[in-house]
Amino acid sequence: MSKTNSKNHVVAISKVLCILWMGIAVLSCKHQEEEYHGVLNKIELKSKDYKEISTSSEKFLAEYHTIQITEDGHTFLIPERKSQIQSFECSECHSKPLKKIKGKELKKAHWNIRLKHANAEMMNCMTCHDAKDTNHLKSLTGSKIDFNQSYNVCKQCHTKQFEDWKGGAHGKRIESWALPRASMTCVNCHNPHNPSFESRWPAKFNTQKIKERE
Amino acid sequence: MQIKNKKWFSLNLSNKKAKNSSNHSCNCGKSSEGCGSQKDVEKTNDGFEQVMGANMDRRNAFKQLAASLLVGAGAINSACNLSSNEAFKEKAQIDWEEQFKGNYKLMTDEEKTATVDRLVRSHQLKTGDTLNMSSKTAVENVLFGYAFNISKCQGYMDCVSACVEENNQDRTSQMEYIRIHEMKDGKGFNFSEADDNYYHEVPADGHFYMGTQCFHCDNPPCVEVCPVQATWKEPDGIVVVDYDWCVGCRYCMAACPYDGRRFNWKKPEVPIQVINKNQHYLGNRLRKKGVMEKCTFCIQRSRTGKNPACVEACPTGARIFGNLLDPDSTIRWVLENKKVFRLKEDLGTEPKFWYFMD
Repeated sequence: MSKTNSKNHVVAISKVLCILWMGIAVLSCKHQEEEYHGVLNKIELKSKDYKEISTSSEKFLAEYHTIQITEDGHTFLIPERKSQIQSFECSECHSKPLKKIKGKELKKAHWNIRLKHANAEMMNCMTCHDAKDTNHLKSLTGSKIDFNQSYNVCKQCHTKQFEDWKGGAHGKRIESWALPRASMTCVNCHNPHNPSFESRWPAKFNTQKIKERE
Repeated sequence: MQIKNKKWFSLNLSNKKAKNSSNHSCNCGKSSEGCGSQKDVEKTNDGFEQVMGANMDRRNAFKQLAASLLVGAGAINSACNLSSNEAFKEKAQIDWEEQFKGNYKLMTDEEKTATVDRLVRSHQLKTGDTLNMSSKTAVENVLFGYAFNISKCQGYMDCVSACVEENNQDRTSQMEYIRIHEMKDGKGFNFSEADDNYYHEVPADGHFYMGTQCFHCDNPPCVEVCPVQATWKEPDGIVVVDYDWCVGCRYCMAACPYDGRRFNWKKPEVPIQVINKNQHYLGNRLRKKGVMEKCTFCIQRSRTGKNPACVEACPTGARIFGNLLDPDSTIRWVLENKKVFRLKEDLGTEPKFWYFMD
């Protein structure tokens, strides 16, 4: 009788201990702050119920003249181009065919343009410009392309850059990270007649660092 | 500028009648916590509370007392000087109140505006210029992230000089938050052999360029080691420093595995004509000697919606900044569609700064 009693006691005590231990285990496992497994998990979970924020790029874009484009589901703004071209519209001078105004006593134009884009076998002026309709660019197959959407000319060869640009990995945002998105278009950074970036000297040289490291 | 329920004694040097400034002192002769006659006082955890409420032994108490007396004696001495004018007295009063302010993290919004106003006024009295300082808090549903395109960076360092100008960095010591490392092709990311202070025509043949700065880790070791909690991670992911709470121990500098933090060994000097007046308390406001500072993703710009100065200055578009929580943002497109990596990922610091290549 007393034996079973003491056995019961032992069982009861061990039960209590077990519950206590489990309680401690559960409490100690509780994370102190946020319950995410790394920042990628945090981004994934937190953006599930993402609500649009009040921060907007509109006030920063007020001084820019932009046009909206949609390419493969990406809708964003690019700077308007035509008003930035010095002597647009082209037809104001190019009213006659090129051959007829060549050599005439007219003011020289475009004399400073040296084409450094691919090579002469691959490209010349007429690859992108249309001699018949100077107010428009043209595609490789001869269809018209508006000067405001000149990226349509570039994308014919630079397909990878075009993909990255649409998504936002290539090119540069204008002013703000917030929506609505405004991005530079190809010709805002690359001179279409000489598109590669030139080598130059760095903007800064730290003379103090040299002294410290001596 | 006056805070209700202020717990410290105001000098009131300019002899202005303070409104209700004495209504919280009690006549029982005990310290404010003992008499229980002001139960309606709102409980805040400001600097006064943090200091006066701390458990301390007699030795520490005497130490603190001696230090406070020194500061107080200095303030009173300069304030009672007969030759000093009104502006000087106001300055002394501001210095006095700044001395007893709390940790920014624990301040109420009211206290935050008050300290910003004091700093603006103080600068105005000193120089005559009016700053535009903000204490704007984080926007909900925003987590800032950064991506750097290694194949695009040409090493022009336009970002470095834009950063120095934007963030009012000391011009004489030429402290810089951003480093651009010139690395040899085919040798991996070999920082010990890379040059971060080159001066020749760039890009150099056979080299690539990689920028580093504060990565605003999601699990920041620098925050963990700070003995006074003067640095912390804001809700939008920016790791900030309270320059007035920092004691300059440089533990955070030692804890950072990315060399992201900088120390002011001397008083930072910025020529008055080129001071960027658009400031944030946690960002580019003028610092003092002996405190830590670092990149804040240009908090004074980014919280209003602008891109950081480095992103704006980069002529190659190698720098991409945005909201990681917005599934349609460009930074998210980069993370999901390019092969991205981070530096020393195995440390578990979780930087919010990714690198990628074309």
